[in-house]
Amino acid sequence: MLVQADRDKCEGHGLCADVAPEVFELDDDAVVVLRHVQVPPELERKAEAGARVCPVAALRVAT
Amino acid sequence: MILRDVVVVGGSIAALTAVETLRLEDFDGRITVLSDEELPPYTRVPLSKGVLAGRESADDVVLAPLADEVDLHLRTAATGLDLDARTVHTHGGPIAYDGLVIATGARARRIGTPGQTERVLRSYDDGMRLREDLRRVSSVLVVGGGFLGMEIASTALELGRDVTVVDLAPPLDRLLGTTVGSYVRTVAERAGVRIVVAHGGVRLLGEPIPTGVETSDGRRLEADLVVSAVGDVPNVEWLAGSGVPLSSGVVVDERCRVSPHVVAAGDVAVLATGDGALIRTPSWTNAVEQARFAVRALLHGDEAPEYRPSRYFWTEQFGLDVKMVGPLDPQGEPTVLDGGLDAGSALLAWPDAETPGQVVAVNHHTPPAKLKRMLRGARPTPTAAQ
Repeated sequence: MLVQADRDKCEGHGLCADVAPEVFELDDDAVVVLRHVQVPPELERKAEAGARVCPVAALRVAT
Repeated sequence: MILRDVVVVGGSIAALTAVETLRLEDFDGRITVLSDEELPPYTRVPLSKGVLAGRESADDVVLAPLADEVDLHLRTAATGLDLDARTVHTHGGPIAYDGLVIATGARARRIGTPGQTERVLRSYDDGMRLREDLRRVSSVLVVGGGFLGMEIASTALELGRDVTVVDLAPPLDRLLGTTVGSYVRTVAERAGVRIVVAHGGVRLLGEPIPTGVETSDGRRLEADLVVSAVGDVPNVEWLAGSGVPLSSGVVVDERCRVSPHVVAAGDVAVLATGDGALIRTPSWTNAVEQARFAVRALLHGDEAPEYRPSRYFWTEQFGLDVKMVGPLDPQGEPTVLDGGLDAGSALLAWPDAETPGQVVAVNHHTPPAKLKRMLRGARPTPTAAQ
């Protein structure tokens, strides 16, 4: 599974990092940073859940 | 209690988060989602901004699709609930559950007469209609100066329209407090927005399409386009007579439960805090957080943690990015933690830096998690908002 983050769209609300801290974190400017681009199988559900709570739909997952 | 059939009623972020949480909690029964929307779950947040401005379309707001094993019914409204028979009624027939998540959200509140076709902004369709309307007009009157009303005003101004906002009180004060509220209003007015305070309220003029308002003291404001942004009304009509406790929403306990088999989350839910207060928090963050707690309570009962809202709110308007944690409407003068409003970027705390009850970041890039941490450990301050 691949995760994509649109850093231009990201507004830094941090809900992804609340839901899936193993996959998403925010940098010092409150912009999303991916801890994995290729998500290991055991984190796939978390990555999906974290992507879906983004209020500006800046995150996408693709299998 | 092992659940096999969970039905989630609703099609927005609380419903979606409930589904995700069921999956993360390794629920392996059947998940059915009943949504009365045409579109699969999408985010409303850009509707007043990028979508209204014409920069974003449905592709930009639809959230990542649900997992294949989830049974999503679009254009399917719940019409009734039988708690004893554990059945949700729809026009397509009854649907049985052994666990139910109520996440039917809210709709736009309206102040017009039945003969008036009031323009509101709640759904994607509302957004597309308003966008078309905005193309054809030169002046816009926004009724209601909350986050949504001011965001619509900001976008209309960005599109070159002549913009007026009318409200019962100075816009944003009861949300952001007077210090930040008056700052944002000053920025809005400098950009060209006219703000009118009508303490006695307004009446919409014109049928079927409103053409203006009349204030209680007889002033008339007119515009090519009138938009109402006057709050929301929880969607609970389908629960009338079901036995689900209703009080301007579905009343839930501190674990977001109506009963052991029924939970509610998001804009529709009213949290009973134990001290007699009933709190409904219609915001994106609350919908996400509450849905997570609600599902844990559905699966784990009393062993699930009690819900403590993080109370994170934000708005973007007139080039300002405002992020806030803590109860709405901070009182008094803030302590400046960094920068300053005069400089255009500020981190502010109420009442002081040692024990903040509220923190607001205006054009200040502090991650929200850090803002939330600033409140943690601090003693709770009395809530000023009702």
